[in-house]
Amino acid sequence: MFVHTQLKKAVTVSKLMRSISSLVGRVSEKPNPKTFKIYRWNPDFPEKKPHMESYTLDMNTTGPMMLDVLLKVKNEVDSTLTFRRSCREGICGSCAMNINGRNTLACITKINKSDGKDVDIYPLPHMYVEKDLVPDLTLFYQQYKSIQPYLQTSKPPPEKENIQSIEDRKKLDGLYECILCACCSTSCPSYWWNQQEYLGPAVLMQAYRWMVDSRDGATEKRRQMLQNSMSLYRCHTIMNCARTCPKGLNPGRAIAAIKRAMATE
Amino acid sequence: MIFARLGIKTLGTALRPAVHSPLHHSVFRPASACLSRSLFIKTIPQPVGNIVGNVNDAYVGPTPNKFTGSRHWTFERAVTICMTPLMITPFITGSISAPIDAAMAGLLLYHCYAGWESCIIDYIPRRVYGVWHTAAMWLLIFGTAVSGYGVYVLETSSAGGLWGLCKRIWKHKKED
Repeated sequence: MFVHTQLKKAVTVSKLMRSISSLVGRVSEKPNPKTFKIYRWNPDFPEKKPHMESYTLDMNTTGPMMLDVLLKVKNEVDSTLTFRRSCREGICGSCAMNINGRNTLACITKINKSDGKDVDIYPLPHMYVEKDLVPDLTLFYQQYKSIQPYLQTSKPPPEKENIQSIEDRKKLDGLYECILCACCSTSCPSYWWNQQEYLGPAVLMQAYRWMVDSRDGATEKRRQMLQNSMSLYRCHTIMNCARTCPKGLNPGRAIAAIKRAMATE
Repeated sequence: MIFARLGIKTLGTALRPAVHSPLHHSVFRPASACLSRSLFIKTIPQPVGNIVGNVNDAYVGPTPNKFTGSRHWTFERAVTICMTPLMITPFITGSISAPIDAAMAGLLLYHCYAGWESCIIDYIPRRVYGVWHTAAMWLLIFGTAVSGYGVYVLETSSAGGLWGLCKRIWKHKKED
């Protein structure tokens, strides 16, 4: 008798579960459209001005991230949409773009599927655009090259490892994680106005990363390069860099550390 | 030398590029053409994509100069730090001695000069505006000199210095 009652209960529960799942299924089948306005410009038609193109997608069949939207649009709606992407996990920095007014990586930015608001997607601000969401980062890389981002020392190379103390290694935390996506530099108003001469937060943070490295011997040379009114001192601590960094780093603090070190040398 | 430290050229060198550069002609261009330019001033054309040289070339910064670099920055900060107690003291004590008031006014003058200088470097860069950058720097020096004279008059007359002036303006508004 007891077994029979238990069996009956189990059947009722399973029926209930089935009806709930079918209800959920029906709810999810209901289309959940969301509009994405994407900046478009094609260099093959220079007479056509840049414009925003709207794409409405069903959120039930779209992945969770903004990059999924771009890939879906490219694969299923408009194959001419151009953007950079590579790792899809926030470690390569290729898909840096301006989403809803914030510079970030499309691959690690979640879509809010329930707010019903449109999403604006632009290339990184104040950069020359090559096509659609692809900015020209040549100057950015030229600037990165100028800080000589490699170990320089007059000491003979060690036989095995170039050892650091734990404390010295800790100084590099919060600096070495930078993926050079250029989100911070292109969010900096000072970089917008004077990018030809001001190095920008990303490059300056890397300059500091090499200055503070206990194994590097070129600190003086690295500081000397910044001894002018433009390369470093155009930073006015606006701090957009730290606000926007998709990796949660703080280039503003690194720049402040360079300024402090140069003031007390 | 002092002008080089301040980041400006002497008047002679400042006017020379104006003769050769297209900036010189901009003043006499018709209004319709001027409207297409920012601030009615023709700017110096910039390299395509802001890229100087080959794509593999590294950026080359301005010549290192400590007086426009770290020393300038440190001096600016030192002035601001010195100003803080001088600005707060009269609000607490209600009065201020003449030499301290003169020091406060002098530091405030430099503080304003440094702020405006930074604005000019940011928004009227020599790279883009050429001679107009130098002109703006000279205008700033002129304005600072006039203000300096104003501070001198305030401090030497019986007006009670800068603090006295602020006090009177405050009271005047109260009576209204």
